[in-house]
Amino acid sequence: MTTSGIQTTMSRRRPRRNPGWRGLLYIAPAMGLVTLFFVLPVLFTVWMSLHKWPLLGAPKWSGFGNYIRMFQDQRFFSALGFTAYYTIIVTIAIFAVAFPLAIFVEKQRPLVSAYRTVIFLPVVVGLASASLLWVWLANVDSGLFGPLFEMLGLTTGRLNLLAKFDTAFLTIVAMVVWKIAGFTMIILLTGLQAIPQELTEAARIDGARRWQRFRYLTLPLMRRTMALALILSVTGSILAFDQFYIMTSGGPQNKMISVVYYIFNQSFVSFNLGYGAALSIALLAILVAISVMQLWLLKVGDERP
Amino acid sequence: MLRKLLAATTLISVGMISTASAETITMWVRSGIGDSFKEVVKAYNSGHENKVEMTEVPFSELVQKYATAIAGGQAPDALSLDLIYTPAFAAADQLEDLTDWAKALPYFNSLSPSHVKLGTYEKKIYGLPLSVETSIFAWNKDLYKKAGLDPEKAPKTWDEITANAEKIRALGGDTYGFYFSGGGCGGCMIFTFTPLTWGAGADILSADGKTATLDTPEMRKAVDIYRNLVAKDTVPAGSASDNGVNFLSFTNGKIGQQSLGAFAIGALVTQHPEINFGVTLIPGVDGKPSSFAGGDNFVITKGTPKLSAVKEFLEFTYSLEGQKIMAKYGSLPTRGDIADQVLEGLDPRLKVGIEAIAVAKTPYTLQFNDLINSSNGPWATFINAAIYGDDVDGAFSNAQSEMQSIIDAAQ
Repeated sequence: MTTSGIQTTMSRRRPRRNPGWRGLLYIAPAMGLVTLFFVLPVLFTVWMSLHKWPLLGAPKWSGFGNYIRMFQDQRFFSALGFTAYYTIIVTIAIFAVAFPLAIFVEKQRPLVSAYRTVIFLPVVVGLASASLLWVWLANVDSGLFGPLFEMLGLTTGRLNLLAKFDTAFLTIVAMVVWKIAGFTMIILLTGLQAIPQELTEAARIDGARRWQRFRYLTLPLMRRTMALALILSVTGSILAFDQFYIMTSGGPQNKMISVVYYIFNQSFVSFNLGYGAALSIALLAILVAISVMQLWLLKVGDERP
Repeated sequence: MLRKLLAATTLISVGMISTASAETITMWVRSGIGDSFKEVVKAYNSGHENKVEMTEVPFSELVQKYATAIAGGQAPDALSLDLIYTPAFAAADQLEDLTDWAKALPYFNSLSPSHVKLGTYEKKIYGLPLSVETSIFAWNKDLYKKAGLDPEKAPKTWDEITANAEKIRALGGDTYGFYFSGGGCGGCMIFTFTPLTWGAGADILSADGKTATLDTPEMRKAVDIYRNLVAKDTVPAGSASDNGVNFLSFTNGKIGQQSLGAFAIGALVTQHPEINFGVTLIPGVDGKPSSFAGGDNFVITKGTPKLSAVKEFLEFTYSLEGQKIMAKYGSLPTRGDIADQVLEGLDPRLKVGIEAIAVAKTPYTLQFNDLINSSNGPWATFINAAIYGDDVDGAFSNAQSEMQSIIDAAQ
């Protein structure tokens, strides 16, 4: 009796302990990759940020010198300000375009897969290629928009879209929406399709009107999907670089220097790798904070769907 | 880790290459210096066992690309480096010391002195002249004729240039009187625009390079001249956002006048024979001409295993044959002793480029990239703000203080 009792406890314990180890084993490759390609580089960046680290020559320990300099750096703060402005505008613009598109392509109607494909197509173009394409479209002499606007009588003479901040900014926002909205649309579409048909029907039977169904049924049920789309969009916008670098080289009179652009300039134009590393760490902290805040605001952690 | 890996791969590939008898030198050259270098490489490759593999790098990115490549152990064996950067790279101890070899060259003393001076750091020679160019003023004779101007009469003052520009613009359509890359191309503008103030005796930096002296009456006059040209619609709208990509707009035949470089003379003569143009010196704001003496130094990456092949190539470019090819495509002769022989039979307009050397200047500062060439630097920003913006005073004071703070931070 006693031996069998021990045996049962052992056999009960073993299957409980094994899955733990096995689970670890399963995620080990992923952990290894994350450690090698994310954790170690971040640690190395932290290490670099504590040095005066020129691109050529020997690094010198400087403690928190780079971080202190960061807080007095006007240009860094204006880059942060511009990035925030860009992120807000572009995220609103993307959602304003992507949400109606998602609702439009969700319903079964003729040619719906053709619509989906066409809207999604720009997403598969690289951001750099898309920027180059739009540089040409916006070129005042040989492009499309300038001559077109003149022909339509919208402008007297040729308007150089990329020469003034407002028009250049609008051009870039339009390019990004054209390029990204399809992706956000697909994410939102999966959310829409995950809403059970019965709920909508039940709401309809209860007499809920179209707007009420959208406000009290669709939106709450799409919270997780929206959180994903929002975080992807906000993170992407905060890390924006290519479009400003390629389309306006930092914009008329440096008005379009995003944070990543500024880090790039500090690291590879002024050769202050250490300072660039410190700015990158600051940016990482900002991104983590914003993502946590978004998840909290959208209550994604809650058990209730 | 990455660095070691890269170094190991480089070592292996180097080992593989050196077993072959003929060597291939990798070399970088910046874009925008015309075809002279490409052509000399072509000629060398067809007549020698060793080969040169040339990579063209956008001029605004060459410095950071090269610096990154050195850090990653993947630098080319040699490169054509804008001469103003030679001191900075020599000071960082990244270049091969060429002193003994250079001084043994029989024509060492006749090599372009300003190049050798900038190529010398702490009495050792790290860079030797590869290409020489000066900035000059060009006008399109056909458009002059059409506008009722005397096509053979070179303009001597900016009043004349402005009046001519207006007359050419009056031809209408997309014919314009003047062009410059005003959208943040610091390199283009230091080359073509500062001669306006140099001619009048002002400069944007003090002689020791430690004080920014941007806000001078001469610079204000120069800015007014360009603002006026823009206000009178003699400049295409694309200029305001041209970061240097369209610097050679003159070659499209619809620009009446533009300040260019000697390289452009070569490009025009060889690739655009249909354009009938004249060249003269760039007038200063008070009429006295000046020019920017620029060009590239030939530098060798420290520790390259193909030193002798690289030297053989450089000696070829210094030969009469090499010099002749270079000159044909717009690079002025680097060897003074055979300059006349080299230019014999070539386009006479290149002689204006040589004349310009006598009145030309080259700024000397270790912060050239940060101050002038970077498209987000104070100079590039100033040009756009002062010429195209609404607040000229603000543009002057911002640029002046930012330049000074960059200089101070580097001391």
